[in-house]
Amino acid sequence: MASAAAPTSMAARFASMSVSSTTTPTSAVKLSSSFTGNSASLLSLRRRVTVPLVRPRNLQVHAKGGFIPAEHRWMYEGIEKMGPDVWNSTYYPKADDHKNVEKKWYIVDAADKRLGRLASTIAIHIRGKDVPSFTPSTDMGAYVVVINAGKVAVTGKKRDQKLYRRHSGRPGGMKEETFDNLQKRIPERIVEHAVRGMLPKGRLGRRLFTHLKVYNGSDHPHVAQQPAPLPITDKRINIVQ
Amino acid sequence: MTRVKRGYVARKRRKNIFTLTSGFQGAHSKLFRTANQQGMRALASSYRDRNRRKRDLRRLWITRINAAARNNGISYNKLIQNLYQNQILLNRKMLAQIALLDTNCFSTIMKKINE
Repeated sequence: MASAAAPTSMAARFASMSVSSTTTPTSAVKLSSSFTGNSASLLSLRRRVTVPLVRPRNLQVHAKGGFIPAEHRWMYEGIEKMGPDVWNSTYYPKADDHKNVEKKWYIVDAADKRLGRLASTIAIHIRGKDVPSFTPSTDMGAYVVVINAGKVAVTGKKRDQKLYRRHSGRPGGMKEETFDNLQKRIPERIVEHAVRGMLPKGRLGRRLFTHLKVYNGSDHPHVAQQPAPLPITDKRINIVQ
Repeated sequence: MTRVKRGYVARKRRKNIFTLTSGFQGAHSKLFRTANQQGMRALASSYRDRNRRKRDLRRLWITRINAAARNNGISYNKLIQNLYQNQILLNRKMLAQIALLDTNCFSTIMKKINE
């Protein structure tokens, strides 16, 4: 290789250059300098660090302005158009990939379904965990419509013993209500409370929560969105009467 | 002692910090003392997150593979077990990208491991 021979000749050239610089210039003005040449240690350092001045400029393949080393060029054979590497860089969704108008809509009938298991399935679909393009920082999930929310079921003695608590903010302002009472008063709140507890807490979580639509009866205003039945894989979600 | 003006020595030092914190919110990119602190925090976060990034991305790939596998009727743990038993050496990054970009290929892999 030419480059291997270059360093030694470079070093020799440097050595000769330093020697020539110490010869006193033949000019009218007499310059005196105490410099007597670089010491041997400095010269030996130079010998090790020499860099060939001329870079071999054979064919350079440019990929989006980047230089491809010789060993990698076989990978780029046959590719006419260079673009972003979709295979080697992990997918991150663009704005077009999660437009609200193009999201899926699901519908589920809450009658005689266990509250927690139902809420869990709903939360998974709203968050988007069932989709391979899931991204925790973006909203890749679907909309879910829940009907017959007033008929959601709980097992055991929860109907009379499960308490829903809220606080008005003032001292002594804690209010409790049983499941049964709340279902008579505001039935939608039960399903909403359950799903909200299963969604992430934060700005994104609050926005995800707005994708849940709960209705007491069996009518809902989202017929135009043609919601598909929510796929449920939980085998114990139905109350066996 | 002769009078020595400091010139722009301090400005040169501060300019480096300001290039680091350009784009930061409010005073964090305008006032030197706060910008200095925010610059230090930024560098520390950057160091820590270079190692975090490896962990975070692997978590993301696993979640994505789990979703795709469950759509095909298998859970992530069973999928990985089957892949190892069939000596398919695809790593999680590639599996996640295949599940996203080439669903046909992913179902072919599923069929192969179900044999």
